[in-house]
Amino acid sequence: MWSPIRIYTSLTILALLVAVPAWGQSSKAIEAGKKEGKVVIYGSLESDTTDAIKTAFTKKTGIEAEYWRASATKVMDRALSEYRAGKPLFDVILTNDNPMQIMFRQGLFAKYLSPTAKDFPKDAIDPNLGPRYRNVIIGVVYNKSIISPADAPKTLEDLVNPKYRGKLVMPDPTQHTTTTQWVASLWKLMGKEKADKYIRDLAAMKPIFVESLLPAAERVATGETPIAITYVKYVYIFGKKGAPLDYSRLGKFMGDGHYAGLNSKAPHVNAGKAFIDYFLDDESMKKMASLGEFVNRKGVYPPLPDADKIQFVEMVDLDTKGFAEKKKEYKQIFLK
Amino acid sequence: MSLPEKAIGMGQTIPTTRSRSRIGVFLSQPINWVFLVVGGIIAYLSLYPTFFLFYGSLTDAPLGVPGHFTLNNYVRAFGDPEAYPLLLNSFIFGFGASGLSLIFSLTLAWITIRTNAPFRRLFELTAIIPNILPPILVAISWVMLLNPSNGLINASIVKLFGVEKGPFNIYSIPGLIFVEALILTPLAFLIIAAAMKSMDPSLEESAKTLGSNEFGVMRRITFPLIRPAILAAGTLNFVRAVESFDTPAIIALPARIEVFTTKIWREALGSFPTNHNLAATYGVGILGIALVFVYLYRRFTSQVESFSTVTGKGFRPHQIDLGRWRYAASGVALLMLILLVVLPTLVLLLVALMPYYHVPTWQTWQNLTLENFRYVWTTARVHKAFGNSLFLALVGASACMLLASLASYITVRTKIAGRGIIEGLVFIPWAFPGTAMALGLLWAYVDFPIPIYATIWIILIAYVTRFLPYGLRAVSSTIIQVHKELEEASIVCGAGFAATFRRVMIPMMRPGVVAGWIILVTIFMREFSATLFLYSPGAEPLGPLLYFLYLDGMRGRVAAIGLVISVISIILIAIAQRYSRWDTK
Repeated sequence: MWSPIRIYTSLTILALLVAVPAWGQSSKAIEAGKKEGKVVIYGSLESDTTDAIKTAFTKKTGIEAEYWRASATKVMDRALSEYRAGKPLFDVILTNDNPMQIMFRQGLFAKYLSPTAKDFPKDAIDPNLGPRYRNVIIGVVYNKSIISPADAPKTLEDLVNPKYRGKLVMPDPTQHTTTTQWVASLWKLMGKEKADKYIRDLAAMKPIFVESLLPAAERVATGETPIAITYVKYVYIFGKKGAPLDYSRLGKFMGDGHYAGLNSKAPHVNAGKAFIDYFLDDESMKKMASLGEFVNRKGVYPPLPDADKIQFVEMVDLDTKGFAEKKKEYKQIFLK
Repeated sequence: MSLPEKAIGMGQTIPTTRSRSRIGVFLSQPINWVFLVVGGIIAYLSLYPTFFLFYGSLTDAPLGVPGHFTLNNYVRAFGDPEAYPLLLNSFIFGFGASGLSLIFSLTLAWITIRTNAPFRRLFELTAIIPNILPPILVAISWVMLLNPSNGLINASIVKLFGVEKGPFNIYSIPGLIFVEALILTPLAFLIIAAAMKSMDPSLEESAKTLGSNEFGVMRRITFPLIRPAILAAGTLNFVRAVESFDTPAIIALPARIEVFTTKIWREALGSFPTNHNLAATYGVGILGIALVFVYLYRRFTSQVESFSTVTGKGFRPHQIDLGRWRYAASGVALLMLILLVVLPTLVLLLVALMPYYHVPTWQTWQNLTLENFRYVWTTARVHKAFGNSLFLALVGASACMLLASLASYITVRTKIAGRGIIEGLVFIPWAFPGTAMALGLLWAYVDFPIPIYATIWIILIAYVTRFLPYGLRAVSSTIIQVHKELEEASIVCGAGFAATFRRVMIPMMRPGVVAGWIILVTIFMREFSATLFLYSPGAEPLGPLLYFLYLDGMRGRVAAIGLVISVISIILIAIAQRYSRWDTK
């Protein structure tokens, strides 16, 4: 009969057997990466978060990391232009699903299964891109000093209540790509028929349009407009500076997944692998969560009230034609 | 060569013997070699990235992908009937903003250059400051001041007068025009102030001798003399307003006002993925419009030059004694400066000192923090970016002014056939919208045979390519003050082109060179649209750093860095003005 000690010992040995090749792979990449000198990353992950991870990575591996930050579209523009010209300067790309899929289809990424990928839930592994390391979640954010939590919208349906008319700010869905995608994915939360009506009701509220999700959150933080459709993480990011923000507990929240990809023609391929190994590792994920990100690690949450109760629903993927059609459709609904 | 032959003048080709071919004669003049080299460099800088934009507009595939020739991009861009009302909106916006910027700059230039108003030197120094601040920060500052819900000015009026609502709404066509006009004023001020300084005083003095009063002199003599400069500044600012996207994105979008650049953003630059071909096509369209205005601009400025070179050297326009009205004039200049400089800077200071921006209350003053300035002071990344930008600003502005001085000399002082083409070429990259030009530069240099892509040199090339017109304008407005007899005297005394240029022209052009250098330094310190696609991640200048911080919602840090850049730039301006005649009384 197996005693608990024997079971524990056997499990430990098994865990070590699984872990050794992974560690071995990582340390091999680190040694070779050191000879390459540095890793170059292009991405849309916030600079402060990347800075914290870069510093820890360099400290741990001795490999320098350089980061070029831009919007997802600009990341794709630069990466594809360099790649097509045969002169890619980058080793790793960190950005969201849609541009990552486009770049994958162009052959930009090498197939690299990082040993640290196994720590992600199975449903967060994309067959092409690997682990979805974080979810950026869109919700309803409001200014507590203007609207009390009791008066704040509780559901998306509440948002179209006439009492909020003139009080809502959101990115223009005919211009801002992620918002186009968010509106186009509403059927995943409420069914097609209801979603179609909801979109028209939302347009009838005449929301104030801004360029992207950040200015929407900023307007709520400054008190210029009390309610926004924006990233939920801004409640933490602006909140830690003192802004009186909160978010509506909608239960299910839509958002976008972000991935890390290794360039198939990476100038520093081993340094790139070592970075991805560290980036997807527990230490890095916890660091990222502590800075307000929703990472795909069981039990690891950003320091935001009720973050563990958020159910993530991934937005639909739209192709170029899909985006163009939706933008045209929303122009008729929102701007006429 | 005999002295009389040399004295004929630079750039004129007089054959010495019948046997020499015309090309031989042309090449025998050193100035023609300078023309060929300078023209070649400018043609290359201007046409190489522009070629990629034209090519992109005529193909159906992105860069690096084999495509087919097509006119579909043009059909899609300009076959849409919706484009034309938006173009009309853009024209209204452009005329309004450039017109208002002329009123501001003309008033400020007249008070600071032509009158004896107290503190005029201080007003003149500070009038250039708005050029230092990134335009997007100026637009955001005015939203914080004049938004209808809690803009600081509106909120103060509500509190002071107990009215229900503040009177101002920034989210309107007048709001859009007002903010863009403030952004455009420094450039117009530079051109108009230079023209006022180079005016011949004898015409005004004659009018006064014949019995005209100050107002009559101003109306009949002064204004007609500087009218071409006013039109030139207005044209430049009109083109800049029509192609600007930042101010419409911040002010027009919430007001649901659409302009042509909003459409370009929706359908090309902001579409997913970016439609490079359509973006390039729109860029070519705007270039077409811009070139018409550049042509008009050339006509107006050539009139400025012919007006301004009536007499010799060393003159200064007389100063109008305003008597007791001089304090009123200072008051008006102060009011303009409050709008142009003081209010946006105060808002930025507030943003930099607050943990997060909100309408200040008594509680706010207790929570003010130097955290954002501490970030600037202690972060190695920021120091490195300051180092990179200072290098780019100092070297880039100097290189640009060297090229501008030579180009300006050729276009203003020689009679070489084809000299006008140089000025036309200089304006082509400037006429494209910033983001479209950035794509052109990326396409042009990513696969360049010499490996300069993603090095500091490519950024220098991009800066010189895009901002040469500013240098050219500044130096041209001074070069026309130098009477030709000075260089003729130098040539008669036996000096060649190089010696004459170095010993006569450069010292005489110094005020214009310094003025242009100042403008370029202030732009290069914070430039980002051309830099973003071209710099290497390890060598980040300030412009992209500001952009990333802005993208990440770190407005406090952006404001703190913006203010530090302003202080550094003011020091540079003060030093440069001290050593130039540009700001002479």
